[in-house]
Amino acid sequence: MVEVRLERVSKRFGRVVAVNNVNLQFPDGKFSALLGPSGSGKSTILYLIAGIYKPTLGKILFGDRDVTELPPKDRNVGLVFQNYALYPHMTVYDNIAFPLRLKKIDENAINDKVNNVSKLLRIQDLLERYPHQLSGGQQQRVALARALVKEPEVLLLDEPLSNLDALLRLTIRAEIKRLQQKLEITAIHVTHDQAEAMSMADYIAVIDRGSVQQVGSPWEVYNKPRNLFVATFMGSPPSNVLPGRIVRENGIWIDVGGSMVKPPERMVELLRESELDDVIVAFRPEHASIVKEPEEGYISIPAEVFVTEPLGRESIVTAMVGGSSVKVLMPPEAEFKPGESVYIQIQPDKLMLFDPITELNIEVARPGKS
Amino acid sequence: MRIPKPNPIWFFLSPALFLIIVFYVVPLFFSIYISFTPLQNWNLARYLDQISLENYERLFYMAMNDPDVTKVVKTTIVFVTITLIFNVLGGLILALSMFFMDESLSLPYRLIWILPRMTPIAVYSLIWYYFFLGDESGTLNSLLLRLGVIEKPLAWGNSPELLPESAWAIIILVNGLVGVSFGMVVFYSALRSLPREHVIAARVEGASAFQMTRYVLVPQLKWHIIYVTVWQLLSLITTYAHIFLLVQWGAIDKWWGSPWALYVFNTAFTTSDQGFAAAAAVILVVIGGILGILVLRLMGFKKLMQEPKGEL
Ligand SMILES: Nc1ncnc2c1ncn2[C@@H]1O[C@H](COP(=O)(O)OP(=O)(O)OP(=O)(O)O)[C@@H](O)[C@H]1O
Ligand SMILES: [Mg+2]
Repeated sequence: MVEVRLERVSKRFGRVVAVNNVNLQFPDGKFSALLGPSGSGKSTILYLIAGIYKPTLGKILFGDRDVTELPPKDRNVGLVFQNYALYPHMTVYDNIAFPLRLKKIDENAINDKVNNVSKLLRIQDLLERYPHQLSGGQQQRVALARALVKEPEVLLLDEPLSNLDALLRLTIRAEIKRLQQKLEITAIHVTHDQAEAMSMADYIAVIDRGSVQQVGSPWEVYNKPRNLFVATFMGSPPSNVLPGRIVRENGIWIDVGGSMVKPPERMVELLRESELDDVIVAFRPEHASIVKEPEEGYISIPAEVFVTEPLGRESIVTAMVGGSSVKVLMPPEAEFKPGESVYIQIQPDKLMLFDPITELNIEVARPGKS
Repeated sequence: MRIPKPNPIWFFLSPALFLIIVFYVVPLFFSIYISFTPLQNWNLARYLDQISLENYERLFYMAMNDPDVTKVVKTTIVFVTITLIFNVLGGLILALSMFFMDESLSLPYRLIWILPRMTPIAVYSLIWYYFFLGDESGTLNSLLLRLGVIEKPLAWGNSPELLPESAWAIIILVNGLVGVSFGMVVFYSALRSLPREHVIAARVEGASAFQMTRYVLVPQLKWHIIYVTVWQLLSLITTYAHIFLLVQWGAIDKWWGSPWALYVFNTAFTTSDQGFAAAAAVILVVIGGILGILVLRLMGFKKLMQEPKGEL
């Protein structure tokens, strides 16, 4: 329908800089997620796109149209909230019809549109009810219907699933995704749940403290985190982080908690050029395993088992390396005793190294290309 | 044998109940009782056993035929109706305008409107006394004289060619400005407690400020509007403090400026006719009760009560 673009957008509330010089592009007809912790400015970005807030600096474009100065009603966006925000004094039908009635559309046409969108969301039987007579999932479907009934070009979702229970969340997640694909609408979904973003979005923009940390496909953001924040925000449990010291004797080595680790071949050159003294070693829990004896072809670090948490499908083993704890996902049958001396064995191609000062991934963010 | 335990409810209720009975129920029934006696000069021993409907008959006759009491009746109806509308509608408009206003502006704005309520009654009345004073030194007169709108000072509350509307306008204005802040505070806090998302959703859906007010905000204030209306109605029917002072100081006409409550007060405490005054007071209470119930009915109070938010 339309591509949404933010160009150097900043938004301040008094002294608080909620959004800081953000450049973002939400491709036409795709599902994008804005992912970030609480207070990172996700909702503010969404409200800027909706026109509720005016940017302090910068421009917002829908396709070629500069909408920066347009009021919300002229932007043709649909907005869905975490708390649904249905009007309690109106029936479901009236709630959905409300945006159309404001446009003074003929009642018959309104009726048709409300019925169509209700069918789409499977709420035909609820039209006579009041919001307080609905379950959370039903209310959220009504809110979606209200947002979609005026056939918006952009659908904005502000944590629409957070108030739903885990099972319902999965259902509505799938439903929203199905709708978005069917309508080919440009959707922007705000969430702080990285699993939700991974499963729904075509593109993810990771936000922290008002700034964009990384934009990419779910695969890229997960596997090629641009900086330490993204690496430690994505994943459950998130990436493990260990401080390392670079030793430049007989080639390049990394001292991790007292043991010498040989960096993978592809990083040696980068490290040599970088002149770093320290480095942060990171890897995902599922990209390592715990073994009693180190094997060839892996990066092995001696560690001591701290605790094992069985989760049914897998177990999370926490081990200590130096003073830092490391979590590793293991098959459920793996058994380790606390205090046992083991090796953490990392797949070399999955190892990540970050500059401790800039916190950038030395592979992804080359100098001069930040 | 078990000694029945006293219900703890009585322990908690008794202090309040005692106060209500001593200071409210007993005087109420006593008033009703003396309204059927020809009590004069508080001479309880002499008149209390002569029960008749005479006071009510006299009151009814006077309301129909005594020109002064007729004025009081008309004044009461006009005063209560218009001030009520002024208070409820004005409070709503003020609350809504503050709601759409910037926070930094709305605070001083709110303060200004609450000022009349915070000012002691005598001081506040005095300000209006000087404002409407009948000679050149009156604020309004001197202003209009200077602007050339009038040629000689007007006696705003007394002059026969301006009565009764001018006296009514004065008492409505003076009371309305005090009363309007009540609705304003109630409505504003109710508006502030609505979810912010309702306003945002309405804006995204294309509602103008007027449409948002009409379809989203005011319907959600229904309960508050009923509450403020009934509350203000009952207090307007019984209010007289400001008007009493303005009449006393001669700023407004004694009869065209007297609502029923002031008439009752004057009859009870400036004449010796307490039985008659009690009858007038009882009528006031009965009418107040009927009107209150009527308003609740009209505004659909029942429907509201049938939708509890949770079950107990
Ligand atoms: N209207 C406002 N006035 C002042 N500060 C605000 C306002 N709205 C947001 N902020 C501030 O801007 C920052 C970003 O807020 P925002 O609501 O966009 O966060 P968020 O990422 O949506 O968080 P959450 O996940 O908790 O909803 C926060 O520090 C917040 O306190
Ligand atoms: Mg938010």
